[in-house]
Amino acid sequence: MTPLAMRYAVVRAGNFSLQALRRGDPALAGRPVALVCGEGRKAVVTEVSAEAHGVEEGIPAALAFARCPGIVIRSRDPSGEVEAQRLLIAAAFGLSPRVEATGPGVCTVDLQGADPQRAWARAQAIVAELAMAGLCVTIGFGRTPLLSSHAAEHAGRRDPRSDESVKTEAALAVLGDERAFLAALPVAAASPSPPQAEILARWGLRTCGQLTALPKAGIGARLGAEGMALWERAAGETIRVLRPVEPAKTFAAEWDYEPPVESAEPLLFRLRRFAERIALELRGAGFVAERLTLTLLMEDETDCRREFRLPEPGTDIDGWMRVLASHLEGVRTAARICGARLAASPARPPEKQDGLFDMGLRDPQAFWENLARLGAIVGSDRVGTPVPADSYRLDSFTLEKPQEAVPPPEGQPPHPQRGPALRRFRPERPLGVELDGSSRPWRLEGGGLGGTVAACRGPWRENGDWWKPDRWVREIWCVELVGGGLYQIARTAAGWVAEGMLD
Amino acid sequence: MPRPPTTLQTLRQLLAKRFPQTPRASRGSHPTGIAGIDAALDGGLPAGRLTELVSARPSSGGQSVVSRLLSETRVARERVALVDGSDAFDPSAVPPDCLRHLVWVRCRDCGQALAAADILLRDGNYAVVVLDLRGLDERALRRTPPSVWHRLQRAAEAGGAAVLVQTQSPLAPAMPARLVLEEWLPLSASLRTRAEILDTLEPGRARAPRRLDEGEQRAG
Repeated sequence: MTPLAMRYAVVRAGNFSLQALRRGDPALAGRPVALVCGEGRKAVVTEVSAEAHGVEEGIPAALAFARCPGIVIRSRDPSGEVEAQRLLIAAAFGLSPRVEATGPGVCTVDLQGADPQRAWARAQAIVAELAMAGLCVTIGFGRTPLLSSHAAEHAGRRDPRSDESVKTEAALAVLGDERAFLAALPVAAASPSPPQAEILARWGLRTCGQLTALPKAGIGARLGAEGMALWERAAGETIRVLRPVEPAKTFAAEWDYEPPVESAEPLLFRLRRFAERIALELRGAGFVAERLTLTLLMEDETDCRREFRLPEPGTDIDGWMRVLASHLEGVRTAARICGARLAASPARPPEKQDGLFDMGLRDPQAFWENLARLGAIVGSDRVGTPVPADSYRLDSFTLEKPQEAVPPPEGQPPHPQRGPALRRFRPERPLGVELDGSSRPWRLEGGGLGGTVAACRGPWRENGDWWKPDRWVREIWCVELVGGGLYQIARTAAGWVAEGMLD
Repeated sequence: MPRPPTTLQTLRQLLAKRFPQTPRASRGSHPTGIAGIDAALDGGLPAGRLTELVSARPSSGGQSVVSRLLSETRVARERVALVDGSDAFDPSAVPPDCLRHLVWVRCRDCGQALAAADILLRDGNYAVVVLDLRGLDERALRRTPPSVWHRLQRAAEAGGAAVLVQTQSPLAPAMPARLVLEEWLPLSASLRTRAEILDTLEPGRARAPRRLDEGEQRAG
């Protein structure tokens, strides 16, 4: 592998329309499938899966049924093809930032300046990654885009040869001896026009090698400028300028269900497909996901939107799916779901270095992933490490992301804690309080605390935020009921409330 | 064909013969710092096992136990998760430094609390998990199938966390250890330090949980 032989790469998904259809429908896995174009008797097979024995492209759909009784006949899925094409482009950005969307299921990548060994290893990873995402691709490397395309097609054959002219490994191929490789290619690989193909057939030229053996000037004299271009294509000399596409700037996917779905399973399948593409796009752009937003569109034209804050930003699809699945397990909707939208908020990957003596996590991935799952169950604003604010106001704290390493303790507080811990009533329970002659509570009603007060202590008056519109004032009492139980009650601007049990 | 077992002892012998298991090695315990509880549990909350602490009466000290547990684990720099079934934990009841190792999960109902506990027990990063089920709908809790508790027990064994389940009445079947706080605290307790209050706690042994019969379940 030399840098010259690997200046371009072509990522190619054979039978692209068929693969795009199968990606979106798990029921088609392992079954013979044919794509048809046209309707009724005029329907003709355009692409056919490997399982459909005896069925060829170009035959009528009725004949396909006759030859392969269990075959599934489908028409193309345009939205699925768009999604698959975006996935392919996102994967190609893993090779180089200069990517051209050459056509449906084909991307050309400019590898000039890239390390061939690393590009080869990366290509192997991309092939495996796309296969996991339901898209089988081949990648060909060559000196020009055209030669790379030939190599990609060659790698996609069922019995690709591996000799000195071409090195083939799994779904990858790189051209070594171009002349020898092209010499054996059928002349159709140079894409002659129908009149040109007819003339070449009359001349008895079957391969590119036979065509390029003739002088280029002689071909030009007989077939004109088009003939010259054909000769150059057959010799692999055509060089064109790539038209690179921009990497994705928004990381979202949307899907409409027809018919609407009622269970989580088809939804999760589709969300995984979304996630696979979005994760690749994020990685291609050098981002990780910080938050995920899932919007379910209902049949009654309402929607159910939920945002998931990922405690550890990343592009781990399995982790995302566990978070989404945890959420969907608890979702109950009044109407069927007719669409879904998944969006990821990008962020730069976090950089950190732990201290030598830090008490870190045993399994950081499980820790962050499980926090995200908990967030999906109870709400991401209800999980975390509480950090009290500098205020005596009740519930003045924030929930923050837990620290990865538990820091050393700061020592004992100067004043020991007094009294039992407060167990809060959230929300506070309104109370009816009867006062005795000395204005002390002697009987409580409501809030589940009805009873006579056996003893009480107080009051303690607190107030704060007097400079703000939501200033607060409380008069706190501790009461012991005759039947047992210590409670903290308070007189506020809104009346008496039970703030909690002293436990 | 073997004869059907006639006594419980015979059944146990039969099960032991058919499903031989290596004895589970003890994985240590996490002291709570409360003399009465540590003594009853032979040193503290056993790792990889569930321990039920029943607060049979209001103000019997269950929440103060949590606050002491947070202090003890903070000194040991162990991570703690609190699954707060009825969202009753008050962070201001604990010194701020004793919250830095805590992951607090504020649940709304019994289903959320059990689902959260199931996830946390399998995590493997927590030394202690407190599952506080007090204040939740008692009937909903009693309708929880016994298999859920067995599942949590298996998860605790796999994850290695010591699990303190706080309830208002004996709830989980076949609990390896169950303690009950039966005495309520008087108003004078609010004048004492929390350490003094906890030193006087004397947990007792609890009765087996009462399951809802079929009629009650239907009514619920």
